[in-house]
Amino acid sequence: MRDGTSPSPPGSTSSSRRPLVETALGPLADELIALFGQGVSAPLPAAGLDRLALRVFRYQLEHNPVYRRFCEGRGATAATVRSWTEIPPVPTTAFKHLPLLSAPGGEVDAVFRTSGTSRGRAGRGEHRVPDLRVYRAAALPNFRAHLLPEAPSGGDGFTIRVLALLPAPGDAPDSSLSAMAGFVMEQWGDEGSGWFVDVGTGVRSADLDEALDAAARDREPVLLLATAFSLVHWLDGGRARKALPEGSRVMETGGFKGRSRSVPRGELYRAVEERLGVPRSRIVNEYGMTELLSQFYEPVLRGEAPRRLEERRHVPPPWVGTQVLDSRSLEPLPEGRRGLLCHLDLANVGSVARILTEDVGVAVGSGFRVLGRTEGAEPRGCSLALEEIVEAARGR
Amino acid sequence: MAGEVPLFEAWCAPAWPGLRESVALRVLPPARTGGEPVPERALSFPELRPEHARRLADLLDAARGALRDRTALDVARAIGRVAERMRAPGDPLRAEALAELPGTTGLSPEMCVAVLDGMARDWTGDRLETLIEADFGDAGALDRFVPGPAGARLMAVGEPLALHVCSGSVPGVSATSLVRSLLVKTPVVLKPGRGDVVLPVLLLRGLAEEDPGIARAAAVVYWPGGTGEWRAVEDALLERVDLVVAYGGDSLVADLRPRLPATTGLVAYHHRISFVALGRAAVAPDSLEGSARDVARAVALFDQRGCVSPHAVFVEGAAAAAQEFAGALAEALARLDRELPPGRVEEAEASALQQLRGTAELRAAAEAGVAVLSGGTSPWTVVVEPDGDLVPSCLNRAVRVVPVDDLTGVPARLDGLSRHLQAAGLAGVEAARREALAGAFARAGVLRVCDVGELPFPPAWWRHDGRGPLEVLVRWVELEGEVGG
Repeated sequence: MRDGTSPSPPGSTSSSRRPLVETALGPLADELIALFGQGVSAPLPAAGLDRLALRVFRYQLEHNPVYRRFCEGRGATAATVRSWTEIPPVPTTAFKHLPLLSAPGGEVDAVFRTSGTSRGRAGRGEHRVPDLRVYRAAALPNFRAHLLPEAPSGGDGFTIRVLALLPAPGDAPDSSLSAMAGFVMEQWGDEGSGWFVDVGTGVRSADLDEALDAAARDREPVLLLATAFSLVHWLDGGRARKALPEGSRVMETGGFKGRSRSVPRGELYRAVEERLGVPRSRIVNEYGMTELLSQFYEPVLRGEAPRRLEERRHVPPPWVGTQVLDSRSLEPLPEGRRGLLCHLDLANVGSVARILTEDVGVAVGSGFRVLGRTEGAEPRGCSLALEEIVEAARGR
Repeated sequence: MAGEVPLFEAWCAPAWPGLRESVALRVLPPARTGGEPVPERALSFPELRPEHARRLADLLDAARGALRDRTALDVARAIGRVAERMRAPGDPLRAEALAELPGTTGLSPEMCVAVLDGMARDWTGDRLETLIEADFGDAGALDRFVPGPAGARLMAVGEPLALHVCSGSVPGVSATSLVRSLLVKTPVVLKPGRGDVVLPVLLLRGLAEEDPGIARAAAVVYWPGGTGEWRAVEDALLERVDLVVAYGGDSLVADLRPRLPATTGLVAYHHRISFVALGRAAVAPDSLEGSARDVARAVALFDQRGCVSPHAVFVEGAAAAAQEFAGALAEALARLDRELPPGRVEEAEASALQQLRGTAELRAAAEAGVAVLSGGTSPWTVVVEPDGDLVPSCLNRAVRVVPVDDLTGVPARLDGLSRHLQAAGLAGVEAARREALAGAFARAGVLRVCDVGELPFPPAWWRHDGRGPLEVLVRWVELEGEVGG
């Protein structure tokens, strides 16, 4: 870890690392890794995203015959697509049905899976990642900029107490979130860091309490990584209040998928303030998904912390382009108009780079605000409710 | 601005003429603004408190005697006269229904005409009379003791007071529910779903003009369901009624059941879906277009929101037959876009459609036999899926076409959905195997087997979810022994 060698990547199935320069993904991946390493502060040079996106697009047309045929069906070829906004997006649902791999040979470093019950033949979504270095390279600079702004970029030596309300990557090898947290832990976690969720039994509250007490005692600021779900669970346990040292911060994620949050965000943040002593101005939401290797953060630790949570927004790193598309026509919408979030992510070079989500949002400047799922009334007719029934029936 | 939003009064209580003065009115604004061909309606309704609910129950109780004094056939004919008004071109009641339906249902004006005509057909006197006889054998059984088996005499008696909680997905269903309660002479409070307020209100208003004595035994009142605000009112009603009829999802029923006193009955109509099974003959060259037309219509009606709406079509024969049928179905759906235009597509539904189409396109690029045809900005979508199962579609005319070697293989594709099946529409199935096939479907959970053309509007006397729609509302009382001359 600290000595410079890398551990086996989570989910790895190969016992030895194959020489990447021999795979077609190699040179392109290396170039993107170098780009990600430049950090998130400066946007790409003019037309930089288009240029790189089109290279990734051409690469994927060449190495992903299913995606190529799909694009051809829409009249999109290397010759006709001129901008990243013209790259045909793949719906997130497709990850439940198809491999969507853009790499020769089919060998992958990891297969990440979406959470949720398996649904008949389709099952959970699967994201195959041929080269985990790309994931790590995209994740760390973006994470540092938004959660550890005081850490020097490129320099070693910065450490912080990382407490993760997540399963360790070894226990949840198909979790992209655990993998990402693993990169963070490995890069910046000090000796007091740890994982506090067991798959199956949930949060290890006693151990977490101890770790929080120790941090308070040692006056060591804490970086808490959590899903909103596990945070709610832990807070529900009615533990005693902890006063985390100044400088502590929380990254929470989830709660946007499909249904509205079970606990409203304001309530959750209030509870974190009261019970952990971390002010909401140091709670950063991360918006991400299994199908996308890059993440989106709220820049609250970078100077953008509106008083009202509803005024916050998420910003993409420079190598990601996000559009808000009309749900019926898929036409791009101007700022302020709600629609479906559609992301172009260069880090997805090994799968498919442009993804159409089911998340609804509005463009806000260079970023966006994620809104709830449905507008107006509840789902109509039998079917949307029936989906849940079918899920339950097939899970039996 | 408020004055410009068209408003529909989503309530009618002939038993309580002074309600408007006694209870404050709430206005529920439209859920979305702008962009609609027909402006969405705001709804007004009385802000009932528990004491109002109790007063309403008192008034309905007081009207029971007069209702029970009438014969069931009398009630049927009175309702039938109102139904004829709703079917008569030029009648103001029909005109008002057609003016208000699009803005309250989200269906296109043309669709509203088709739905109103289809529903009202089964509120006519003749059809209701057939319904009564179908459920009770003797139309007089609701009025007096009639001969029963082994020398006993039987009378069908409706509960003293009922509450109907209806969903809003298909207009007309709550009006039918109202009709059924009156036929068995049970006074009723009916709470419609938001998408189905117009027809029960107008039917009751028409009845109040036609036959006030009967109309006073019913009240239709909208309030937003599922919110805590109206829980106390609901509980006040639940304390008073003897029977609850509920339409909707499992969560609605799960919420209601524990709130009922031990002796209160519950009739629950769950969410269900239907499918089509086409025998070889239905996709032969000379029948292909006709079959496609019938299936398209069944898919398109109600914008596919009904329990009678098919979500998949199983086509017997080689994969090529399914592909050919899919092409014909796509053409028929495209034509129907003009005759029965689709209504409002909700944001979540539009998103689901994008996911379905894009995923199907990718699968078509990966798997032989998968194909997708769609209407572009129009929502209809046909996906050919070898090895497909019956899966609830994302609505708005999205349908799977699944090839099967033989229709006897269809039950295996219904796995996991047996409690949520409604009907199977058949075509091209010869008389010789129709019964055996229907038997196999029945054992798989299907409740009704009919021709494809008959799927959308079952007759008034259909066994709704497997039970006589009136019989499920009554108790049979036996009179044994000798009866004096």
